[in-house]
Amino acid sequence: MDRRKALKNIGTGFGAIAVTPTVVSLFQSCQSAATYAPAYFSSSDFEKISQLMELIIPATDIPGAIELKLPEFSDGYIAAVWDEDRQGKFAEGWKAFLTASAAISGKGVDQMNTSDWDAVLSKFLKPGSEISDAEKDAASFAGQLRSLTVNAFKTNEFIGENVLAYAPVPGEQRGCVDLMEATGGKAWSL
Amino acid sequence: METNYDAIVVGTGVSGGWAAKELCEKGLKTLVLERGRMLKHIEDYPTMNDDPWDYKHGDVITQEIRKQQPKQSRTGYVNSESSKHLFVNDLKHPYSETQPFNWIRGYHVGGRSLTWGRQSYRLTDFDFEANAKDGISIDWPLRYKDLAPWYHHVEEHIGVSGENLGLPQFPDGNYLKPMELNCAEDVLKGAVNSKYNDRVVTIGRVAHITEGTKPGAGRISCQYRNRCRRGCPFGSYFSSNSSTLPVAEATGNMTLRPNSVVHEVIYDAETKRASGVRVIDAETKEVIEFNAKVIFLCASAIASTSILMQSKSDRFPNGMGNDSGELGHNLMDHHFQVGAQGSVEGFEDKYYTGRRPNGVYIPRFRNIGGDTNQKDFLRGYGYQGGGGRGGWSSKVAELGYGAGFKEAIMEPGGWSMGLTGFGETLPYHDNKMTLDYDKLDEWGLPTVNFDANIKENEFNMRKDMAQQAAEMLDVAGVKNIRTYDAPYILGNGIHEMGTARMGRDRKTSVLNKNNQIHDVPNVYVTDGAAMTSAGNVNPSLTYMALTARAANHAVEELKKMNL
Repeated sequence: MDRRKALKNIGTGFGAIAVTPTVVSLFQSCQSAATYAPAYFSSSDFEKISQLMELIIPATDIPGAIELKLPEFSDGYIAAVWDEDRQGKFAEGWKAFLTASAAISGKGVDQMNTSDWDAVLSKFLKPGSEISDAEKDAASFAGQLRSLTVNAFKTNEFIGENVLAYAPVPGEQRGCVDLMEATGGKAWSL
Repeated sequence: METNYDAIVVGTGVSGGWAAKELCEKGLKTLVLERGRMLKHIEDYPTMNDDPWDYKHGDVITQEIRKQQPKQSRTGYVNSESSKHLFVNDLKHPYSETQPFNWIRGYHVGGRSLTWGRQSYRLTDFDFEANAKDGISIDWPLRYKDLAPWYHHVEEHIGVSGENLGLPQFPDGNYLKPMELNCAEDVLKGAVNSKYNDRVVTIGRVAHITEGTKPGAGRISCQYRNRCRRGCPFGSYFSSNSSTLPVAEATGNMTLRPNSVVHEVIYDAETKRASGVRVIDAETKEVIEFNAKVIFLCASAIASTSILMQSKSDRFPNGMGNDSGELGHNLMDHHFQVGAQGSVEGFEDKYYTGRRPNGVYIPRFRNIGGDTNQKDFLRGYGYQGGGGRGGWSSKVAELGYGAGFKEAIMEPGGWSMGLTGFGETLPYHDNKMTLDYDKLDEWGLPTVNFDANIKENEFNMRKDMAQQAAEMLDVAGVKNIRTYDAPYILGNGIHEMGTARMGRDRKTSVLNKNNQIHDVPNVYVTDGAAMTSAGNVNPSLTYMALTARAANHAVEELKKMNL
């Protein structure tokens, strides 16, 4: 079932109540389960990228990267939006990231499990780690991957319309207001 | 269809819409010709309600768009998924560049009035007297007092919101209530207004209705969606489609013909007047002639100039109105993409509502007399900018990734503030456009070549633009200030102008003080081509005022049987 229609139906059926993550999981499960054929990544790279994105934006009471299909969005985004030069540089960064990951985990990249990848991201994305010159490209790739993931998250329909503060037609403009009163502490999605 | 009219208007952008409205309201049977397709208010705004997630990759410029619109894409913003249909296909509408020039265009009814930036400022006598005082180029043939009532007239009809400040270099206008500054901008305003005696931070003056209604197609107050560039279902910002063309239509005097590529104004040697225009139907390629007593060229600076260049006759072998040899020269724009930005501390518990389609403005403060005069450059610049919470908070960097990080990116980021300078470009004779008859377009017409760039005066000004932006941010307590000076390509301001300038002397100019071609008085050019100097403010309001003034003149002259 089309997710947008599903959302609208839920809106009609349940009145004004918030869409809970459980309900979201229910309707998302009725989407086709066909395997995604990546446009930019190889299948094995896509699997690793998906794992990494899920670590960056894990499932909480709000769906995580994989359920929100952020890896699919990002794969399509790179293929359709970036030019060859940028895609090539990203590929080089990925190679450097894999090399560094193998060195950090002491395993082949195909043997690494979630906690191995977590350790790599921790080194490159948490503040305070020492990054050697040899690891600079890998660290920079991790930062790019995080930006891609955040971009995908913020461009996601469910997040934009149901999780962040959504006001397609604000109707008025106030320059300086209380954050909690305006949005309950959330960022505007638009 | 009928081929004889009282008036012909070429183009439907800000200038053409105004010419159509004024001429029709004054009772002239007016044919309005537009080279692009028909585009109807609201019903032809297919993307007006789209969210970014309604596009597969978000509202971005994809490689597929870049392939069709390689030059339009150079701006980096105008032709994303939601607005790409309002900009030309560069493959279908090519031009060439001896030096890089960004010619950003939309071929459809309404032209760029649908996609403009809506910043609306008046020129002043600092601008109209500048060339004469500096002893460069030629003098404007008019002064602020000549145009002031027409600025008022235009503002009254279109609706401009803003704040009157009583500054001589930034004249007051006929404004609707101003939009609000946000918390960070308030800090900048407080600091700059109190610590400088020559500078003021104010809200931008924009052609948006902020109270009441305006005439046209049911225009009402801004709903703060900031989706203006796609066409506004509320008609809240001024466009020809929502404001001037509906009023012209309602008179019953307007005939609007889209898909009409005007390429020549026909000269009648006997009457020493233009008799009409020659048109190629964009779809059928049929050539048609339309006749009228008066012709308004409002096709945009480059296109109107191009039409005049193609209008060759025994009397005007180098193009109509080109006795002076100035046609196509003195090409100007506003140079920008230079300024400073930084982060603003505090106000974590403050936010804003509505997506304000506007920013802050700092009016010109250089070369307006006394201590403000500069040694290194002539003229001045203003800043556009603003504050917001669009970025990431410092918490985000600390958390790195994971569940806590996810929570943090759902909150507003820290406050940031930026200022971008918009500077005057001088009218250099050797900055020019020409026609290339070896490269013809789909309609067999010559294509435009650009050979122009900014020079020492602009480069020196840019240094000051970056430095002063950083200094003002610093005065306001902004942290992590970075200046920037991005490579600017002429035309990127989308304010191309000056190629058929007004002047007092037919030997050095194309148009007289009423926007008439010196020796063809029934042809008026009232778009950016007419500009004798660029000033430093956004020019569309001036084009509208010049057009309304010229239309009034044309009707008076017709009454006196002078045309």
